[in-house]
Amino acid sequence: MSETYASGARPERRADSVMTVAISVLAAVLVITGLIYAAGTGGRHQAVLAAAGCEPNLSPSGLQCTTVQMLTSQYVAITTPAIQQLNTDVAAYTANERHHLAAAEAALRAEVTSASAFGASLARFPFPPTIAPAAKVLVEAIRARVKLTAEQARSASLTQLRSFNGRVNVAGVAVQTEMKLIRKALAARPTANQEP
Amino acid sequence: MATTRNYEPDLYPDDAIDRWNGKQESADDYRPQRRAAKRRVDEWMEVEFKFGGSRIKRKALALVLLGAPGLVPLLFMLPALITLNKNTFSVSVDDTLGTGAELCLFLCLLITPMVTLTGQRWFVPLRRWYGIMMACCAIGDALAAGLTDTFAGGFFGRVAGHVFELMGFMMVMLVIPLLVTGNHWAQRKLGRFWKPLQRLTYVIWGLLAFHLMLLEGFGFQRGSNGSGFAGDGDPIFHQRFYQYSACSLFLLTLRLPPVKRWIAARQSEGRNWLVHLTILPIFALFVFGMIFIVNEEIFKGIDSFMEHPSSE
Repeated sequence: MSETYASGARPERRADSVMTVAISVLAAVLVITGLIYAAGTGGRHQAVLAAAGCEPNLSPSGLQCTTVQMLTSQYVAITTPAIQQLNTDVAAYTANERHHLAAAEAALRAEVTSASAFGASLARFPFPPTIAPAAKVLVEAIRARVKLTAEQARSASLTQLRSFNGRVNVAGVAVQTEMKLIRKALAARPTANQEP
Repeated sequence: MATTRNYEPDLYPDDAIDRWNGKQESADDYRPQRRAAKRRVDEWMEVEFKFGGSRIKRKALALVLLGAPGLVPLLFMLPALITLNKNTFSVSVDDTLGTGAELCLFLCLLITPMVTLTGQRWFVPLRRWYGIMMACCAIGDALAAGLTDTFAGGFFGRVAGHVFELMGFMMVMLVIPLLVTGNHWAQRKLGRFWKPLQRLTYVIWGLLAFHLMLLEGFGFQRGSNGSGFAGDGDPIFHQRFYQYSACSLFLLTLRLPPVKRWIAARQSEGRNWLVHLTILPIFALFVFGMIFIVNEEIFKGIDSFMEHPSSE
């Protein structure tokens, strides 16, 4: 204490000790509470999985188990922005297909990029074994449409460009059909407890 | 340097969290009785060693190793940036770069408490580095969210259309002057105004609390609203506001004048063990919070890096 005064600094007060120790005790209580709570993590995890249903070993992130709810949520998180982007690209194409060849081709190229990325995301998605075949068909359908759209984007005239529309629409219907099937399968998928 | 002239000789360590610049003197310099022991590590860090054909200070190597994690959040988003993967940006940029910015802010704020506790100053340049990395992550997060998020209202609707986003937007606006003035030239030019300007870091720290509170329902899990939706049954540990609070208690406590006075008094008595023993639970709580933030960053970051973003 004398050193404190000698150095000309503000003297230490009793309140300083009280405050420091009080914060320390509070932190100790919180840490101990946290550790006790953490000790029950395993049990709570199992309870959540039992309540929500479980897809063993599907998680890409190293979790032991992925719930159907989580899987559906991940699927929606991938498909929603991708579909929005594709719809934007298609709208840009539709707006230009009769008047502006360069703009229409640019829109098609953008669509090819978006659709390729979407297909690649779905190809990496950890679909459950029962849905995997349908997912594979969907990825193939997307690839077929991408190939056709890329070909369309190389058209020399507006007439040639529009001549692809019918085939592209058919390819698009195939994609939509597969997507609906997968969405339905994910939504209606039985939980682990219900499975034989 | 101009700003060091303003420091008063003080018993307790310099509170200079707001400086990203590590070249200034500390109040520690005015305490000869403590200086010798504490400067031993600093002096050891100043020693050069041979590396290839050149000589490098140990400090430089240590700073590079300790500073490298600051690049990790940006590295996680790099593949998505190179391939212009809008989906990855849309789904996980906020978790990867936002959490990265939070981590960098905490590491930036951690420097002053560590100086207070150890008396060493060789790691002070990390404050500036982590400040810059925090700014880069925060600006990157805002830009990506504004361009790729699914909220309505155009760019500004996406970055400031909700109250929690508005808080984030304000933080980004405040971080820009800090980034621009976080250099020696700006420090010289701004003179005595530089230090108060850098105190905006505190405002960012405070706004982050509101940002996280509003993001996840004031820290309470309601149905799927909150970080506890990850499916591991631990909504409390995943609440970002709780993680923030656990980390901030240590960072704030070590800045309180009464606590600093108490620490300085114990250190001057040669009772460092008592300081460490008392601060240990607060530091443990900090580590507890950081573990979950780092886990979040790695979990989401790796998914972003693989361009298979997780929306959990």
